[in-house]
Amino acid sequence: MAIEIERCQVLLCAGAACISSGALRVKEALVREIQRNGLETEVTLIETGCVGPCNLGPLAIVYPEGVFYQKLTADDVPELVEEHLLKGRVVERLLYQPPTEEKKKLVEEIDFFRRQEKIALRNTGFINPLSIEDYIARDGYLALAQVLSTLTPEEVIAEVKKSGLRGRGGAGFPTGLKWEFTHNAPGKEKYVICNADEGDPGAFMDRSILEGDPHSVLEAMAIAGYAVGANQGYIYVRAEYPLAVERLDYAISQARDYGVLGKDIMGTGFDFEVEIRIGAGAFVCGEETALIASVEGKRGMPRPKPPFPAQNGLWEKPTLINNVETYANIPPIILKGADWFSQIGTGTSKGTKVFALAGDVNNTGLVEVPMGISLGEIVYDLGGGVRGDKRLKAVQIGGPSGGCIPIGNLNVKIDYESLKELGAIMGSGGLIVMDEDTCMVDLARFFLEFVQDESCGKCTPCRIGTKRMLEILERITRGEGKEGDIELLEDLAWKIKTTALCGLGQTAPNPVLSTLQYFREEYEAHIREKTCPAVVCRPLFRAPCQHACPLQMDIPGYVSRVKEGDYLGAYQIIREDNPLPSVCGRVCHHPCESKCRRGQMDEAVAIDDIKRFVADYARQNKISLPVVMERRREGQIAVVGSGPAGLTAAYFLAKKGYQVTILEEQPVAGGMLALGIPAYRLPREALNYDIDQLRAMGVEIKLNQKLGRDFTLESLRNQFSAVFLAIGAWKSVPLGVPGEELKGVVPALDLLKRINLGEKVEVPARAVVVGGGNAAVDAARILLRMGAEEVHLVYRRTRGEMPAISEEIEDGEKEGVIFDFLMTPLEIIGDENGQVSGIKLQRMRLGDFDRSGRRKPVPIEGAEELMKCDLVVSAIGQVPEADNLGERMPLDYRGNIAVNPYTLATSLSGVFAGGDAIGKEATVVNAMALGKKAAFSIHDYLQAGEEEEEKLIEIPKVGAIEEPPVMKETPRVKAPKLSPQERVCGFAEVKLCLSETDAREEAERCLRCDLEKVMKKYQQLALVEEEE
Amino acid sequence: METIKWEDEHIFQEVDSIIEKYWEEKSPLLCVLQEISLRWHYLPRPLMQHVAEKLDVPSSKVYGVATFYSFLETEPIGQHVVRVCESAPCHVRGAMDVLSTLKRELGIKEGETTRDGKFTLEVTSCLGVCGVAPAMMIDQVTYGNLTPERIREVLTLYN
Amino acid sequence: MKIKTIEDLKKIKEEAQQKTALREGVGDYKLVVYMGTCGIAAGARGVMSAILEEISKRELKNIIVTQAGCIGLCDREPLVGVEKRDGEKILYGNLTPEKARQIVASHLVNGQIIGDWVVSAQQ
Repeated sequence: MAIEIERCQVLLCAGAACISSGALRVKEALVREIQRNGLETEVTLIETGCVGPCNLGPLAIVYPEGVFYQKLTADDVPELVEEHLLKGRVVERLLYQPPTEEKKKLVEEIDFFRRQEKIALRNTGFINPLSIEDYIARDGYLALAQVLSTLTPEEVIAEVKKSGLRGRGGAGFPTGLKWEFTHNAPGKEKYVICNADEGDPGAFMDRSILEGDPHSVLEAMAIAGYAVGANQGYIYVRAEYPLAVERLDYAISQARDYGVLGKDIMGTGFDFEVEIRIGAGAFVCGEETALIASVEGKRGMPRPKPPFPAQNGLWEKPTLINNVETYANIPPIILKGADWFSQIGTGTSKGTKVFALAGDVNNTGLVEVPMGISLGEIVYDLGGGVRGDKRLKAVQIGGPSGGCIPIGNLNVKIDYESLKELGAIMGSGGLIVMDEDTCMVDLARFFLEFVQDESCGKCTPCRIGTKRMLEILERITRGEGKEGDIELLEDLAWKIKTTALCGLGQTAPNPVLSTLQYFREEYEAHIREKTCPAVVCRPLFRAPCQHACPLQMDIPGYVSRVKEGDYLGAYQIIREDNPLPSVCGRVCHHPCESKCRRGQMDEAVAIDDIKRFVADYARQNKISLPVVMERRREGQIAVVGSGPAGLTAAYFLAKKGYQVTILEEQPVAGGMLALGIPAYRLPREALNYDIDQLRAMGVEIKLNQKLGRDFTLESLRNQFSAVFLAIGAWKSVPLGVPGEELKGVVPALDLLKRINLGEKVEVPARAVVVGGGNAAVDAARILLRMGAEEVHLVYRRTRGEMPAISEEIEDGEKEGVIFDFLMTPLEIIGDENGQVSGIKLQRMRLGDFDRSGRRKPVPIEGAEELMKCDLVVSAIGQVPEADNLGERMPLDYRGNIAVNPYTLATSLSGVFAGGDAIGKEATVVNAMALGKKAAFSIHDYLQAGEEEEEKLIEIPKVGAIEEPPVMKETPRVKAPKLSPQERVCGFAEVKLCLSETDAREEAERCLRCDLEKVMKKYQQLALVEEEE
Repeated sequence: METIKWEDEHIFQEVDSIIEKYWEEKSPLLCVLQEISLRWHYLPRPLMQHVAEKLDVPSSKVYGVATFYSFLETEPIGQHVVRVCESAPCHVRGAMDVLSTLKRELGIKEGETTRDGKFTLEVTSCLGVCGVAPAMMIDQVTYGNLTPERIREVLTLYN
Repeated sequence: MKIKTIEDLKKIKEEAQQKTALREGVGDYKLVVYMGTCGIAAGARGVMSAILEEISKRELKNIIVTQAGCIGLCDREPLVGVEKRDGEKILYGNLTPEKARQIVASHLVNGQIIGDWVVSAQQ
């Protein structure tokens, strides 16, 4: 006898996103394999609507266990059927693995699902949308039955009003009120419309509901029809949603067959019909009056309100328009009651909201969350954080009428009012997560282009105003922005907001206003410095890597030279913009690589390693480039401090022809490079080689010269024509806990300085380093090398939030540094001799989000721990030693030297400052960039009023080789490293140089983005030839 | 591509039967135009004229409606219409690369039709599959997670 | 079928719920057949088929049959767990298709646990 009991159901997501990633091929394979294994009667395959996490599609859930399978292909199916459906063994490799956690087996274990509360999406992704019985099994049409048999229209409206439900389409108007207005409007003939013209880019919840649970909308429309007194409903669906139309069409005919639509519904005497109207691709039709015009078969243009559709709508009759998601909430409200609904959410925003997560987030797709959840929770807990190792920049909410919320506001509660306060709107619920690679000016331009394109043209502010704004934005992104453009944009924006006819026009300027509010400096960078900080606006740069480099090095130039084996040429190109290639090739945090286009294909080109190869080649072959100056110039310049900022400023000033004197307090030159960074990362001979090149240019470096002891700022100002202060930040920020005065508590920089100067330092048995930056990691690793038995690094947040270079963290871990995360010191304990004996630590957990967009560590009450140690190293931050600068030097609130950010001039004339001393992001290359900037500012300052004379010497330039790349699929070359055992024995350099073959091979991976413009010309020529 | 012979009576009969279908409607114009465009891929002038006469509306109104909506075409278009989603989520995830790949593969710019009449390339507003951005739609089928590789693969399905 | 009264709707609902019960995870009994390599080798597949056959023959409703991997009692395979909705869990071992049929008849239909074959019981 054949087995006829169904024991297993396979739910296959057949939402549009899954279909577009191949769900139908998976379905065919499933049908075939189930048959082949003779499981047709035991196993049922059910196609459902959107399950939610679109990035994991095609996906399936196997019930009764509820096992969640993701990213299926037809090839996976035979194994899935044989292993799981036949033998009952879960196929591990097809399970979902969250970025930082273990694999998850069941639906209910996955945060993405666990954190949701489903009302509107209660059936979507769970039932078969083509089966009205599935819908009925889940209480479908019960609400309609209840309404028709037990409630008066007034009672229905009262319930909806009491629930606090507000329109989910954008404006958030109270739904019950809308129903009441339509109900109260005079007239016998009335209509109910469902707005399914979901045009907001990035929003697709309405599509999902229509595709996954069409009956819930039909049922709600019938309820609404009963409440307002209408017998005819229309669903206006976008033409872009053919699947939704198909499923709706099917659902309507099913509902008619079952007698839940049509004449005399369920024997109650109430008639209600629904028809579909298909839009034809016009965004403005999402606006209700435009939509009505379109249903009437006219051009979909809005008209002024009032009269509102509730009084005068379709064919001038009272008409109720709600959006899909709003309707989907109605049946549960009727069944479970208004009180149940209104206890979910916040004071003014009740219930849940569906968001469409898209953009640079790990989990994309649909999520339904209770109102009042924080934005950060959506992005991190449900969305799984930002893709790759990029940083979150902002979240765009509400589509083209919405705004951007920067990471400083991740704690914002999702409700209508809170979002409005921040310049965004709930809108229809599109939520686009954007990482650091998004340019906010480009984004504003993009949205404006969209509204400008979709403007129906009826009113002038929208038609012409948005065009003017777009022209300005286009100009800015092309690098042709002018002073005053920002103000002009703001002026236009406010005029459009107050005078446009419909919602589309009035909200059109929002993306511009909100990006201006939070990212004004990005607009300014485009206009004043002609740079695009996110490296997006193509006309502003030759190649992304070069634009991302704070020194603007011609990276494609030297990489192409290396490829050809012309290392001298490469060295010349590097030295053009960078006086410290040996240093940068080793310790740079290489922002260039994070913007490398190759990284989008496989892995970024190892730019830094190539640079190091060239620098080492130059040193080994004792290449010293000839000293070429533009001309000799009048003017002597003092540079205080010989760190990366000071050395770089000296280099560029010397190249200009000035006489430069560097004054260094310590007995060695290099500042933080020599005394902060350990030799195993930056061998001294490499550093000294770079510094010697500077000396060869005539830069004088005076050692043992201390500000305030051997000279004063005043004496320098008298003696020199300009002064550049690059004094670094050497004063450690105290931990601020009791016991800091004990013996054995040292600031990280003091420790590093003493070790690097060769002073004797007592080796601790157990050391605890407090902090998460590079100085902390350096201190921990150096202590291990000195012979400490155990070194702990204590950081108050988690590893992902550590500011140190991740490669250094990994290396430290391999060498044996023990990382203790989520801990912060409470007290340092001493013995009877006043010597450190331990440190009392507080365990932390991650709480709300702070201004930096990271979760704030908060103490776990009662969770304290004592860690024994004989050395505590504090490394939680540094500020400059500004005491010796004299009283007249203005500082900012954190104790850094205050400067004009564009010129680096202090308020004392002729005195400039840069590097760590001004408190910018303290990395070597950023300090160097500030030194370079200062050099040009000082030159401008000294030349002020004088006309630039002709250059005496034309410095010959080496350029990039203009040969387009041949695409080769080779992985990134990994530079060899010493083994951890070898490393901790001494101070030998950990990372080794690339071999010549490797360097050349790696250089070949460069895609030569700089040649794009040239190539385009070639391509056009080729096309023309073809045509001829 | 089907060439339309205007002297052929049955074409107008076919249009008449479409009009018949929506005769009961209060305002059948948009529905009729949509159906015509589904049948012939665009709205040939003679047919628009015919519709205007039959429905007794000014032909300027018919033309006005036809040009307002982006899914209605008044010029002949290719057998397959490739619509690249140019909405924000797709933009953020590389829609411009999709467009340039398609331009290269098809040898046409947006708004143009290939010489063999096979493909028309368009950009469109949000296709609503932002979860698998970047995306495009060929006729009625949506494709997501596009890469240059996958675009070439998909195009072969239509060749 | 046409729904003419609200009672009709409720009737359809009850019938339809049989189908969705699997997904909702609500049944009067849940049977777990342990089908690790060991279980399959010991004949678990035959046991499962027998159970399904018997359930279908007797037209039993609200019963979920599911599978699980090895639970480490390989010498007692094939194993079947019977979980009642209120939480009572019985694990039977050393089963044959015939024994499995009897479990359906006795345990599921009459609520009689067959003590001889029980490996462990948990209230």
